[in-house]
Amino acid sequence: MTSTALADRRAPAVRRGTPVRGFLDKHFLLAASWPSLLIMLAVTAVPFAISIGLAFTDYDLVKSKNWKFVGLANFDRLLHDPEIPRIIFNTAYLVIGSTVLTTVFGLVLAVLLDSRIRGVGFIRALYMLPIMTAPIVVALTWRAMFNNDAGWINYFLGTVHLPQPLWLGNPALAMPAVLISDMWTGVPFQAVLLLAGLLGVSTQLKEAAVSDGANMWQVFWHVTLPALRPVLFIAVVLRFIDAFRKFEGIQVLTTGGPGIASTPLNLQIYNTGLFYNQVGYAAAMGVLLIVLIAVSVGLLYLVAGRRSWR
Amino acid sequence: MTGIRARRVQVETVRMLLLAVGLVLIGVPFLWILLTAFKRPVDASSVPPEIFSPFTTRNFRDLNQNGFVDSLANSAILTVTTMVCTLGFGVPAGYAFARGRFRGRWFLGGFLLFSRMVPPVVFIIPLFLFFNDFGLVGTYTGLTLAYLTGLLPFAVWMSASYFQDIPIELEEAARVDGASRAQAFFRIALPLALPGVVSVGLLIAIAAWSEYFIPLILAGPSTTPATVGIVSFVGVDSINWGAMAAGALALVVPVFLATLLAQRGLLRGLTAGAVKG
Repeated sequence: MTSTALADRRAPAVRRGTPVRGFLDKHFLLAASWPSLLIMLAVTAVPFAISIGLAFTDYDLVKSKNWKFVGLANFDRLLHDPEIPRIIFNTAYLVIGSTVLTTVFGLVLAVLLDSRIRGVGFIRALYMLPIMTAPIVVALTWRAMFNNDAGWINYFLGTVHLPQPLWLGNPALAMPAVLISDMWTGVPFQAVLLLAGLLGVSTQLKEAAVSDGANMWQVFWHVTLPALRPVLFIAVVLRFIDAFRKFEGIQVLTTGGPGIASTPLNLQIYNTGLFYNQVGYAAAMGVLLIVLIAVSVGLLYLVAGRRSWR
Repeated sequence: MTGIRARRVQVETVRMLLLAVGLVLIGVPFLWILLTAFKRPVDASSVPPEIFSPFTTRNFRDLNQNGFVDSLANSAILTVTTMVCTLGFGVPAGYAFARGRFRGRWFLGGFLLFSRMVPPVVFIIPLFLFFNDFGLVGTYTGLTLAYLTGLLPFAVWMSASYFQDIPIELEEAARVDGASRAQAFFRIALPLALPGVVSVGLLIAIAAWSEYFIPLILAGPSTTPATVGIVSFVGVDSINWGAMAAGALALVVPVFLATLLAQRGLLRGLTAGAVKG
């Protein structure tokens, strides 16, 4: 009798799937996880909740003691802010441009890297280096590359007798410059993700298609691409979300200018809250940003995601 | 048959050529950093640009005068504290997440998604006000805590995925032999997951080393890391390109070494939050 009781107490984990576990077990897992959960709660969830609350106040960093609730005034101001349409346009330009360019070229690069020839592992490692470079270094380096007089890009364009535009000072070219520098890290990033998917595509399936007389393009279009779809969807969503929070590559490369020609919502929130001290209004913009992210990711999921998970 | 082989050689040749072109495009900015770091200031901003010019180490001496070396030390301190805290809290939580059903499990999964979706700019001001009340603005403690916002969920998720790869039977066997849950974790699961934990640690270190936005707002004069410090070479009307490139080199080289070490774990780190747990 006592021996069965003892066995029960000692080996609860053996019964996989049963909800009954020893008190100590439960205790250990809770102790292991709750410190992390508490930290996340304190440094992310609570500030996030406060931020939403601030959107309904006229809080600013200067007269921080005398703030009051202003209801929906900040959101009303958002609707009538003459800069907001341009900011939203810039945000869409950045997010869609970054996602499309990096994913298309990233897929090409991934296909190129999907080979078994010798030395390809080393080449893959080299392509990873831009991903690991600090974004601030990327931004500063591209600022030098795009420099009008001493920059390498215009120097190169000059040697092949192409026009040498004022990249960062031209409202029409500031955002393209941002996107070009974004591709430098984004294309390898997407390629690395998509390569993982490509390596998972069954070679048997591809060989079967080849023996049925399919050419390389047909194999890619009808076998590889459908199999890649879930990974492709994930890569698009990740890039999409990361583009919304892109900061250094704009604040340091173009400083959001000229004027506000390359300022997306992310940077506008920073400028409003920390530069112009209008914390309440910045918080309202933050709410708008989160709604934009949630809605567009939701739309992506509805359009492309549901089918790719099946 | 020879036709197919000839075609294969053709395809591989085109592939290598295109990859080489890509590497040149990837390499040019790195080449700019490397060359400019060893240029005299006159050559660094000459019009038209000089690709090759006299060699000097003056820029690195400029770094020292500008307090950049102190900011590199701050970066190193913050990288270590962040890595220690993230792994110390995150790895046990990842284990719990991988092994158990307990209250708060769903919360963790939701949090990774949340922290990946919400840009830091949305909660940085309340965090600043919060830290201001506790005297944490401009301190290493405050910065480390703020770095945890994005990195802790990442570490939990990543280490959970490594623990899930370890067969639970090993821990069960140890438990049958009388080991406690804690012993099974420290003696069995953790050593087995160590390679994974090390690569998570390296990715965390790289991310902490590269962080710019959080210290831009929360760092003080004596705790500014090199990512923020390097921007001081961009003046209002002139930019010290040489010193800036030297600083960039100092920021980039350690990460490249770490990248070579973490190559395998890297892929998994990038896809974190993408694969359903």
